Amino acid sequence: MMMENPASVFASEWPERVESTPADHPVGTKRLLTGCVFLLILGVLAAFPFMVPNRFYIRLVNEMMIYGLLAMSLDVLLGYTGLLTFMHNAYLGLGAYLAGLFLIHVSPSSLWLAFLAGILCTSLIALPVGWVQVRTGGLAFALLTLAFGMMFFTIAWKWYAMTGGDDGLMGVPHPDITLFGWVLGSSGRPLEMYLFTLFIVSICFLLTWRIMHSPFGAVLEAIRENEERAAFIGINVRRYKLMGWMFACILASISGVLFILFRGYIGPTTMTAFSGAVILMMVLLGGMGSLWGPMIGAGIFIYLQDYISTKTEHWELFLGLVVILLVVFMPRGVAGLTEFLRRPERESR
Amino acid sequence: MTTYIEIALNSLVLGGVFLIVAIGLNIVYGLSRVMNLAHGSLYTLGAYFGFTLVASGVNFFMALILAPILVGVAGLMIERTVISLMRKRSMVYTLILTYGLMFFLDGLVRYIWGNETRFIELPGFMKRTISVAGVNYPVFRLIILFIIAAVMAGLMLLLGKTKTGITRRAASQIPEMVSCLGISMTWVHIGAFVLGCVLAGIAGVVAGPLFTVYPTMGHQMLLSSFVVIVIGGLGSLRGAVMAALLIGLVQNLAEFFITDLAMVIVYMMMAVILAIMPRGLLGEGRFE
Repeated sequence: MMMENPASVFASEWPERVESTPADHPVGTKRLLTGCVFLLILGVLAAFPFMVPNRFYIRLVNEMMIYGLLAMSLDVLLGYTGLLTFMHNAYLGLGAYLAGLFLIHVSPSSLWLAFLAGILCTSLIALPVGWVQVRTGGLAFALLTLAFGMMFFTIAWKWYAMTGGDDGLMGVPHPDITLFGWVLGSSGRPLEMYLFTLFIVSICFLLTWRIMHSPFGAVLEAIRENEERAAFIGINVRRYKLMGWMFACILASISGVLFILFRGYIGPTTMTAFSGAVILMMVLLGGMGSLWGPMIGAGIFIYLQDYISTKTEHWELFLGLVVILLVVFMPRGVAGLTEFLRRPERESR
Repeated sequence: MTTYIEIALNSLVLGGVFLIVAIGLNIVYGLSRVMNLAHGSLYTLGAYFGFTLVASGVNFFMALILAPILVGVAGLMIERTVISLMRKRSMVYTLILTYGLMFFLDGLVRYIWGNETRFIELPGFMKRTISVAGVNYPVFRLIILFIIAAVMAGLMLLLGKTKTGITRRAASQIPEMVSCLGISMTWVHIGAFVLGCVLAGIAGVVAGPLFTVYPTMGHQMLLSSFVVIVIGGLGSLRGAVMAALLIGLVQNLAEFFITDLAMVIVYMMMAVILAIMPRGLLGEGRFE
């Protein structure tokens, strides 16, 4: 993904890795090509608000990117580590509530401190939760995420004095976006917020891509493939699972802070089990275990949601039906589709 | 003193409803390794069937028999169309599929019956209260306790004494051996799923007059029955009974003392128990 000197950055101690993920062909041209595609997409996204100066579409794409980040962080758990979590949106909610509370009660103008507060406090909550969760197996893990997620939802919903209960956290101030002393503008304005979101999300994506294609990512994949064998070759499975969990939760909390800066409001509906299913569906739609797939899934999904919810009020019914059809007919999602299309080429080589 | 008796009786009723839902979930998982996240929605479906039947003039006790059968038929259709496809795939897909199913069923309920809160009308004699050990207690709650006890007894007899039940229990241990003996595992899976659905339906009809009937009533019940299963140990009947009564008691006490955050206490308790005993209270359960 990094273009200048790919060989040195990607020098990996593990030459042989699990096949079928696109980036582990050690061919330089291939890597260059992926890098070019990434730069192209980045360029198009950066030029988008200047070409389409419609505030509605800018905000829509902005929301797609924030949910894309969340879906990608869920993919780290589901696609790479093989851990199913139903309520990953709870950590977006936590990050958003905590950063929002920080902006309201402590300092209304410091953007980066709000980031730090959101990420740190969410990690402090996610750590003991993860510690309990990794002690159990796959199924119990999934059920525990549901229970803890509902617990956070209940707290956000019922703790009226702190979170505003049903009404949500309102009147969160919009701090100025500053970058190394350079002021971009208020985070309340769509264009500035869009560019800032693009900046943060692409950094998070690169970082995640790098980490997931490092020995650490390979260990996570080994745990996904066979936990017992991973333990036999001396991997501390629980510790690696916990690290994967923490990484995913930190990414989710970053998306949460972006969310509160973008909306200026967060309500408990963002933390319901239904919203959790939405995130899961984005990952499924895009394809597990590819990182970029879930981002595309999030884009498609947000667009569909925007479109269908204006047509019918029975959105829940459609969502359920689409999830069922996806699992039955297209379990590998959009990313699986591209792999399917690429296969003849690979065989001819 | 009277308050404590009342709390004890209420805990028994609440725990009993949890128990029926949780045991259905447990049986389905034990026999076909399907953790059905749509179980709570089947419970909702049972409650709504019960409501419609009672509202259209059917006796409450007839509804208690008819509605679970209807839910069982719905379960049969679900099993044949989608769940059976998932048998060869990894657990993750089953979980996601049934999660989607849960929202589909909830959406369906909302589509057919609307968003309003409903009540199942009780026959006249059940609305009265009766004096139990100096406490005035509603008759219908006692009848519900009796129904739950009867269902549990019937279930114990079915699983423990009949040939079908013994086959089922054997199949939960070594499915390969059972199918070698010429017993169709497909029918075992279907039977287990339908039995689970029927139990969820019974719990739904019973819960109708106890709580109110609304589209998302299943979510809370699903979570509570998970807590029961996880604490009691997966696949353990005795564990489920203990855990259900414990959760019923804790939730009632918590609701009595700190109304709003009662469920948080329950989840915390589950987390603590799991951290100390990852296999649940009785330690028989197997998580995979």
